[in-house]
Amino acid sequence: MSDESPSLDRRRFLTVLGAAGGGALAVSGCSTSRVEKLVPYLVQSEDQIPGVATWYASTCTECSTGCGVHVRTREGRAVKLEGNPEHPVNKGKLCSRGQASLQGLYNPGRIKSPMKRTGNGTFEQMSWDNAIALLASKVGEAGAKVGVISGAGRGTFSDLLAEWTAALGGRLVRWEPFDHEPLRAANKQVFGADGLPSYDFAKAKYIVSFGADFLDTWLAPIENQRGFAESHGFSDGDSAKMVYAGPRMDLTGLNADEWLPVKPGTEAALALAMASVVAAERGRPVPTPYTVAAASKETGIPAERIERIAREFAAAQPSLAVAGGVAAQHSGSTELCVAVNILNLAAGNVGETVNFAGDLGSGDGYAALAGLSAAMVGGQVSVLLVHEANPVYALPKTAGFAEKMKKVPFKVSTSMFLDETSSLCDLLLPEHHALERWDDAAPRAGVRGLMQPVMEPVFSTQSAGDVLLKVAQKAGGALAKFNAPSFQAHLRSRWDALAAEQGQKDTEAFWRSALQRGGLYGEAPAAPPPAGLATAAPVAYSPPAFEGSGDFVLVVYPHSLLHDGRGANKPWLLENADPVTKITWHSWVEISPATAKRLDVRDGEILKLATAHGALEVPACVYPGIADGVVAVPLGLGHTAYGAFAQGRGVNALDLIGPPKGDFVSYLSTRVAVTKTGGYRKLASVAGVPRQLGRGIAEAMPLAAAKKGLTLAEAYFEEGHPEHETNPEREVEALKGWSEAQHKATKYGNYTGEHPQWGMSIDLSRCTGCQACVTACYAENNIPTVGESEVLRGRELTWMRLERYWEGGEEPGEPVSARFIPMLCQHCGNAPCEPVCPVYAAYHTPDGLNGQVYNRCVGTRYCANNCPYKVRYFNWYKYNEMAWPEPLNLQLNPDVTVRARGVMEKCTFCIQRIRGAQNQARLEDRPVLDGEFTTACAQACPSDAIIFGDAHDPKSRVAAAKQDARGYHVLEEINVRPAVTYLAKVIHPVEG
Amino acid sequence: MAAVTHPSTGPQLEITQTHADVTRDVVATLERPSRGYLLLLFSAVGLFLVGLTTFGILVKDGLGHAGYTPPVFWSVYITTFVFWVGIGHAGTLISAILFLFRSPWRTAVYRSTEAMTVFAVMTAGLFPIIHIGRQWIFYWLLPYPNQRYLWPNFKSPLLWDVFAIGTYLTVSTTFLVFGLIPDVAAVRDKVTGWRKAIYEMASVGWQGTDNQWRHYNRAYLYLAALATPLVLSVHSVVSWDFASAIVPGWHGTIFAPYFVAGAIYSGLGMVLTLIIPLRRALRIEHMITEYHFDNLAKLTLFTGSILFYAYAMEYFIAWYSGNIFEQTTFFRRAFGPQWWAGWTMIVCNPFVSQLLWFRKIRTNLTALFVISIFVNIGMWFERYVIIVSSLSNDYLPWAWGQLNPTWADWGILAGSFGWFGMWFLLFAKNFPIVAIQEIKEMIPMPRLRGGHH
Amino acid sequence: MRTMALVLGGVGAGGLVALLALGGGRSAAQGKPAPSDSMFAAVITDTGSLKGPRQPIFFRHDIHAGEQKLQCQYCHYSVAVSPEPGIPSIQTCMGCHLVIAGNEISAKNEIKKVRQAWTDKKPVEWVRVHYLARHAHFPHQRHIKALGPNACTTCHGDVTRMPQVFKVNNVNNMGFCISCHIERKVSRDCSVCHY
Repeated sequence: MSDESPSLDRRRFLTVLGAAGGGALAVSGCSTSRVEKLVPYLVQSEDQIPGVATWYASTCTECSTGCGVHVRTREGRAVKLEGNPEHPVNKGKLCSRGQASLQGLYNPGRIKSPMKRTGNGTFEQMSWDNAIALLASKVGEAGAKVGVISGAGRGTFSDLLAEWTAALGGRLVRWEPFDHEPLRAANKQVFGADGLPSYDFAKAKYIVSFGADFLDTWLAPIENQRGFAESHGFSDGDSAKMVYAGPRMDLTGLNADEWLPVKPGTEAALALAMASVVAAERGRPVPTPYTVAAASKETGIPAERIERIAREFAAAQPSLAVAGGVAAQHSGSTELCVAVNILNLAAGNVGETVNFAGDLGSGDGYAALAGLSAAMVGGQVSVLLVHEANPVYALPKTAGFAEKMKKVPFKVSTSMFLDETSSLCDLLLPEHHALERWDDAAPRAGVRGLMQPVMEPVFSTQSAGDVLLKVAQKAGGALAKFNAPSFQAHLRSRWDALAAEQGQKDTEAFWRSALQRGGLYGEAPAAPPPAGLATAAPVAYSPPAFEGSGDFVLVVYPHSLLHDGRGANKPWLLENADPVTKITWHSWVEISPATAKRLDVRDGEILKLATAHGALEVPACVYPGIADGVVAVPLGLGHTAYGAFAQGRGVNALDLIGPPKGDFVSYLSTRVAVTKTGGYRKLASVAGVPRQLGRGIAEAMPLAAAKKGLTLAEAYFEEGHPEHETNPEREVEALKGWSEAQHKATKYGNYTGEHPQWGMSIDLSRCTGCQACVTACYAENNIPTVGESEVLRGRELTWMRLERYWEGGEEPGEPVSARFIPMLCQHCGNAPCEPVCPVYAAYHTPDGLNGQVYNRCVGTRYCANNCPYKVRYFNWYKYNEMAWPEPLNLQLNPDVTVRARGVMEKCTFCIQRIRGAQNQARLEDRPVLDGEFTTACAQACPSDAIIFGDAHDPKSRVAAAKQDARGYHVLEEINVRPAVTYLAKVIHPVEG
Repeated sequence: MAAVTHPSTGPQLEITQTHADVTRDVVATLERPSRGYLLLLFSAVGLFLVGLTTFGILVKDGLGHAGYTPPVFWSVYITTFVFWVGIGHAGTLISAILFLFRSPWRTAVYRSTEAMTVFAVMTAGLFPIIHIGRQWIFYWLLPYPNQRYLWPNFKSPLLWDVFAIGTYLTVSTTFLVFGLIPDVAAVRDKVTGWRKAIYEMASVGWQGTDNQWRHYNRAYLYLAALATPLVLSVHSVVSWDFASAIVPGWHGTIFAPYFVAGAIYSGLGMVLTLIIPLRRALRIEHMITEYHFDNLAKLTLFTGSILFYAYAMEYFIAWYSGNIFEQTTFFRRAFGPQWWAGWTMIVCNPFVSQLLWFRKIRTNLTALFVISIFVNIGMWFERYVIIVSSLSNDYLPWAWGQLNPTWADWGILAGSFGWFGMWFLLFAKNFPIVAIQEIKEMIPMPRLRGGHH
Repeated sequence: MRTMALVLGGVGAGGLVALLALGGGRSAAQGKPAPSDSMFAAVITDTGSLKGPRQPIFFRHDIHAGEQKLQCQYCHYSVAVSPEPGIPSIQTCMGCHLVIAGNEISAKNEIKKVRQAWTDKKPVEWVRVHYLARHAHFPHQRHIKALGPNACTTCHGDVTRMPQVFKVNNVNNMGFCISCHIERKVSRDCSVCHY
């Protein structure tokens, strides 16, 4: 089979040793020839051993959270990103977007060298020297008339950029979509602190989210998830309750124990009413009293329900209320944020679960950008430099940024990709990818993450920092003072200064340790004492006003994987389904079942959405988690540039939105008319039938039962479902030991003296369904992305998939909730797939795995038919030749065979990691230790829901987890003896 | 000469010719082909080429062109495989079992049905190769010594299949070829020129001496005895491909007898479909008569009724077991997205076959022909429903999906009919499609006219 | 800076080896009875006549590993710690060949090529002799651990007698692996090598 797979894997990696740059610190002769020859290093780099991974600590730049990453490199190629356990924000975890950064590095759509626009509008390549000379001259001429737009990330580079611009007298704007402007305004108003606090979800005993998707797209999702899992999960024997208020359930909403489907834009009323109740409970004054009755009238939520939740909120100490997402992106959102601040004050959460010490980074807000674009129109900008920002795409067309940009005579972009903005520029100076350059990031006070190049650049690009310095030297004048020989040197000098601040004498040692640990993780300075409730500014709630006509309110929200569109050029993020709707590769519009019935619309029917500002045609997705009278469209697609993967795919929801008013882009501002076009396109959804049909797949038990330590069966019994009685003891006894017997019988494969039995436990009360594990699995196991047409035929190869089953919501009015369950090969001890394989390609390994020998497989597919969990995936086409266009194939994990067509594949419990650990253990004459390694999914899981290990070792974590009373096996009744134990979700039954 | 009735065959079968007539008539079928025949042959070859091309594309790009939609990992190809294996069975039943039971009415038809068996199994044998993901290493399913110390997995029903089909092909081929010898000899004596030379060879020096006849009859008897158990075993093994899996809708103890009955039923359908036009085309109406069809129809009715019972039983067990997986499967089989397939099978098999209670229908060739077509369609759909609709909704609702067959599926299906038709037509034109010597056996010795004293 | 260190290190090591080499050379020169197919490798000019693929540089294992008794792991540095044996960097060659220029013309020529590669910063592209299919994983370190540092010959044959390396065993043939695994009663589980 391998002979059919040209994709670059272990073997080919060896042959490109010469191309191996030897990572950060090694100097190497770099011949990039890729012939089928053995090409040795010229100089053997110290930190590279062929066949052995080298890890570098760095910092993720996919969003402004600035998580720490460990980059796994092999033969000088980055092959996987994992979280840096030492980093205080993400503690070793990484979200899908962060992991997919790798596909940015090797993206075929990257600009391969500097380019300038020719007369006829096309781009032509040029040398770096000429490019820099050109820019220098232009900057020299422009002087103070230089404008700069950059991303919101803070760090040495963005400081340099600021100083550089300041030296010229130009103006710099740090901007990114969803920049939390209202939240900052509110914080200024209430606390006099212009910044973003850090929210401690772990501490909270009761959480209310007003539209904030804190598990997925809001502030620091990984950190929030970890905290949420701590408080809401059942690990500590208790579970905090989470209530979500908003017109549309996002991933956070789906994880909530209660959903308040408030009318869009009325969250503030709810918050104020709750504040009044809570304040009353606590005997505190409240600046702006607001009655529950009024709130009920505004939001459409029954008064008693509001009352109840408010009291529950008050009773729990400490609790936490957050506002964000779309709710914080409309005309009344500053009021909302103020109201929520007051609510937190009233409940006494400020200083407890809301800490301003953190001071999370953010940009300058849209107002600043508006100012700059005004200047651009006014002709005060003759050179515009755009860095890590794509305003032409990410702003509504009605903002007319493209036109304003055209007014600028000379436009420069450092973008890695030819996106909507850079394609309007005159000079392209492609930036190094974050994994190829030096920089650091200061996402919050006390945390400074370092970025170091982990490999030689893939293309002829340069770090924007070096470009700035070189331009400074060329242009001279005010810029002459930037005389560092390289940005690396500049960065180093800053860190030496930092060392001095820290009172470190030995700057070299300081630098080395920082480099090793991935940065400097100190304590945040003490927080300013939060202002009291009394001093809190009063706030007036005003009902939301939506422009335009049409019977629906339009919600435009950030896609959980593509976010504001920056993920749209990465196949992993396109094929990994949206965790809420489970749709891949294209856009959709969500409408409620009731609305769908009224308009007689089914999934996939193309609807025409028309506002005063534009019209779009999008396939419908009937979604029980959205209020009637509201339709929602995700951002992220509809690119007109940005590489082959993104271009011409889906629609850009921003086309429906009016120009930003005031300080921020309002994603919830307009009404929309919805009409059927009669068109149809099958939704590229990975969901089959999203109901459990009483099959007990994703199980749950009420908190009370869990606290009593009941098993599922007992819990059901209590609820009076005798039919859920388990088998009589003797039957259980009779069934026992199938896998054990099979396991003991094996005589081969005695790796470490004693056979382990690999097993896994997945805690559904911690799992949030974020799908970081899925992306990790794609990255670790060389899983090809098959594209929309194949997903439409259900042929995606997600070894690990997240099934999302709806509970309730079948009749109108009945509350709906979701259950997530990660489904992967269960490595059954009594596996149905094994006996039916005619060639032993599927067989049981001595260490309790369902082996899958790709090169033995002839492709009868009987195993897949006979797999009750349907976790076996077939290579219908030569996916191995389609999925990784050069140079994307460089991302492939050299330890894992790339499967050819006609072969069955499936989860192997990351056998390459198992064997790797066993090899190492054998070299050191010791057994494999528990926790020494884990599977890619378990490693990535932000909420630590997955535990992997040797179930035979009684001291192992997984063995302990399997003893949990909540433990159960999916489809236990068919006696396949799975090695994966699920721990039932713990729910808060809603009374009344 | 006066019509005589053969004592052993009862009143129905009228033999109106002399030995010479029989030979003449049968040999006549081997004369220069008519335009109609050629037309049929060419269309068969055409279809076969369609299949061949499709297969080429599948090998080049992978199975993706076919409509496979997980969780449906088997679909049209396996359906067609089972269909063709089934077809074979009627042939063996008629030629071997009825021979052992000395039932004379088989004589006129058994040769053609036997040929049908061989070619049907030849067709079926292709599918295990066509449907696998890496066709070029299909031989890994065979146990052969190799330096890798690897053996196939004898626990796998697919391996049982390999052996079952292999045996069936060998035995039925031997049976056919052996049975041909005397007839080929008869033909040899009639034809001239280069054809004579060929038949000379094929008749392996048959002289029709008593000695040869004695050996021949013995051997034929033994071969018949050898073939008989295969009627039951082969399709039982095929049924275990499904019965031994845990897929709801497959996992049934009733499968073996159910499949065997179905196989014979479908086989009889095919026999009728082939013979009714054939006898006209070859002008042998007087040899294959109403009487034969009446009997074939009765057999069809019998097996059809067994199917009726099996279907009913499947639904009953699903309900009675209280197993929600089974229940869902059978509910969706009748009322799910693929309801049309489910009902096609139920209408075409049990119900249509019940029409054969009426003698009028049994003896009306047009009606029989129409019914036989229904049977063929129905039985193909039976396999389609069992395979596809069971797979499309098994244990985890999240993984459910519906199959949409594509050109690649239909291409291979058409090809299989072309391949079968091609061989059958060639056979019919080059070998006596009616067993000469067995017909002769039924003709009474010519009586002596009153002689002089 | 770092490079310098490396180079110096290399030279140091090289120097030692060079001495060894001279020593070896002299002892042989004193006419010790050499084993039949000459422990003191003969000069070979016609590489075409030799078995195995012709390499860009006529690197003689029989001289380096045989005559000079260099440890395999001196050049194949990662074989004991990694699945991959490691191909010596040109720097490793230069470690010795900064000082050793060869004592007869054909050797001189080949060594020139190495130095050329070093100065041109152009690595030599060796022709692969032993190839293992991509779906089979062969952890060298495990086998060195189990069979000892001189286990190389088990699969690669006695390279100390090969002027030009050629394939002695078809290492890409599963039978070759299995027979050994059976002999030594070690794992025959498929997933040990295939994943």
